[in-house]
Amino acid sequence: MAVMTHAEALVEAIRECMDEDPNVALVWGSLMGVGGNNEHVDHIKADFADRIFHPPISEAAIAAVATGAAMDGVRTIFPMGTASFMFRAWDQIIHEAGAAHYMSNGAVSIPVVFHVVHGLRGGGSVQHSQSPQSMLWNAPGIEIAMPSCPADAKGLMRTAIKSNNPTVFIDHQKLNKRSSEVPDGSYDIPFGVADIKREGGDVTIVAASLQVVHALEAAETLSTGGIEVEIVDLRSLVPLDEEAILASVGKTGRLLVVDEAPPRCSVASEVIATVAEKGMDLLKTPPVRVNRLPVHVPANVVLEDYVGPNTDRIIEAAKLLCH
Amino acid sequence: MDKGRLLDIFRHMMLIRRFEEAVYDFHEQKLFGGHYHLYIGQEATGAAVMASLRGEDRIFSTHRNHGHLIARGVDPKNALAEILNRADGTNGGRGGTFHLADASAGMPHTSALVGGSVPLAAGAGFAAKLQKSGGIGVSMFGDGCFEEGVVFETLNLARMWALPVIFVCENNTPGAVLKSAGGNNTSNLPEGRVIQIPEALGMECHEVDGGDAEAVDSLFADCATRVRETGQPIFIEALTERWPGNYFSFPSRVTGITQVSMAWDGSSIAGEYEDWFRNHDPVLRFARQLLDRGVANSGDVAGIDVEVTETIEAAKEFALSSPVPGTDSVYAHVLAGEG
Repeated sequence: MAVMTHAEALVEAIRECMDEDPNVALVWGSLMGVGGNNEHVDHIKADFADRIFHPPISEAAIAAVATGAAMDGVRTIFPMGTASFMFRAWDQIIHEAGAAHYMSNGAVSIPVVFHVVHGLRGGGSVQHSQSPQSMLWNAPGIEIAMPSCPADAKGLMRTAIKSNNPTVFIDHQKLNKRSSEVPDGSYDIPFGVADIKREGGDVTIVAASLQVVHALEAAETLSTGGIEVEIVDLRSLVPLDEEAILASVGKTGRLLVVDEAPPRCSVASEVIATVAEKGMDLLKTPPVRVNRLPVHVPANVVLEDYVGPNTDRIIEAAKLLCH
Repeated sequence: MDKGRLLDIFRHMMLIRRFEEAVYDFHEQKLFGGHYHLYIGQEATGAAVMASLRGEDRIFSTHRNHGHLIARGVDPKNALAEILNRADGTNGGRGGTFHLADASAGMPHTSALVGGSVPLAAGAGFAAKLQKSGGIGVSMFGDGCFEEGVVFETLNLARMWALPVIFVCENNTPGAVLKSAGGNNTSNLPEGRVIQIPEALGMECHEVDGGDAEAVDSLFADCATRVRETGQPIFIEALTERWPGNYFSFPSRVTGITQVSMAWDGSSIAGEYEDWFRNHDPVLRFARQLLDRGVANSGDVAGIDVEVTETIEAAKEFALSSPVPGTDSVYAHVLAGEG
């Protein structure tokens, strides 16, 4: 086990896949939003110079070029930077990458990875803070991964690159510099397998990405007050590990879902709807969602923190749910 | 030659420079976070363009917007308060450095997305045409915008629908060496000129030295008059110098606090940025022009600097004492009519 940052683990996955498969290509912009961690990717630049392309500011064109190349088996990783920027390529992601397999009656597949950095990043204001996960989830044909830690980031990125479907890999700016242990060697983490990040019997918190970190912090505090939290880290939204969610709710009887998208039609809405359909009898009390408030993200960081889901709001919601 | 007009343009350039130096200090002091962009080195273009615009005109800017607002006459107090995300900011603290805008000054919205504001300016031209307001739309944007498809669509549309718009491309592109190093996202256009794109659409096109305030003023004044008369769009490529502090992922004030005395006393100019001070810094260039032409003497120029520096000092105090917006304010204005 080596301790790595989230960014390093992602780069490691990309390096391994580029090494293993000559069909893997990389669009080289602000890779993964890693910013100050760019030294981690210098060796990729040197080793795979013929498969790396420096982009102009042309999200739509590049998304569609990567999709077109995917039709001939080139597996392009396209880091789009801030998730807000992917709206500029919405048509290409939803209507081309996400639909080509279906429209060809299965003849064509689109192995492409769109990597974005979502969420409240500290002063990003309205146009640099989007959380597009639930909008994407409403579009058929796209896999969605949302890791919360370096070890998962690496294994999920390897799966995303190898997948024959278009994948949107949703990271968070605030995860990039966090570090923890990553298993040695190459390993894949399949999509659709949630991970229980903490076991507990009183309340289930379902989350993904940075909100798992917040949930873990909240769980520590709640535990001192006698509330034991079980945390289900979804890791991928498509496919969704319904069994893991239902199993945990079966154990605790209480459900809280945390998500950075605004509440209506969010990840939280969908998880709760799923439990309502398939496990209504498991619930002892109505489920609760903790989302970004249904407003735009103000530039002021005090207000930004106020509109976002955070540890305090999770603690407050969990307490209400349990009492 | 209208001396008052030239001095007014210089005053705005100097005001922008001192404003941006204050913004830099605020960021260094961690009074606001995140990424930001300064207008240092491009003051001549912004100040000269605004000199010909009227109240009914609409101007749309970008992530590099501070100088455009100051040149347009927005109070530096409110602009600086916005950069600190305070309640008295132009956007009530919710926009921040990327989105400074002031509808009362004819700058209704600032998109930070590359190319995002270019079609909005054409929309202002469209409204002016329909409403016969006599106003025009002005789009201030960078050369990197030509990498986005919506910019081509907008130029084509403005020509096709004959919209009264002036597209001012402030080309601050890095030189060939930096481009080939691949280290900067801006302007990876291949060889060739962005001006060829509107030319191909049959649009009236001009290029101008964007560091020469008088040249920009004279060209833009002429273009503004013509757009108002003909209703046809015009494209201007202002070739600006890239400020050496703008080569990094965050601005770096490598050229220090501007010493306006360098305009008449070259003895202190030396070192790595000597060429910048002697030949490129638009504030110093214009100051020298004013002196050479007898529009002002060194005392006049120094006096303007003192005056604008005082204005910025007062603006800093105002911004720092402006309150953080209350948390309940986040719900306001999601939809119109809800208060």
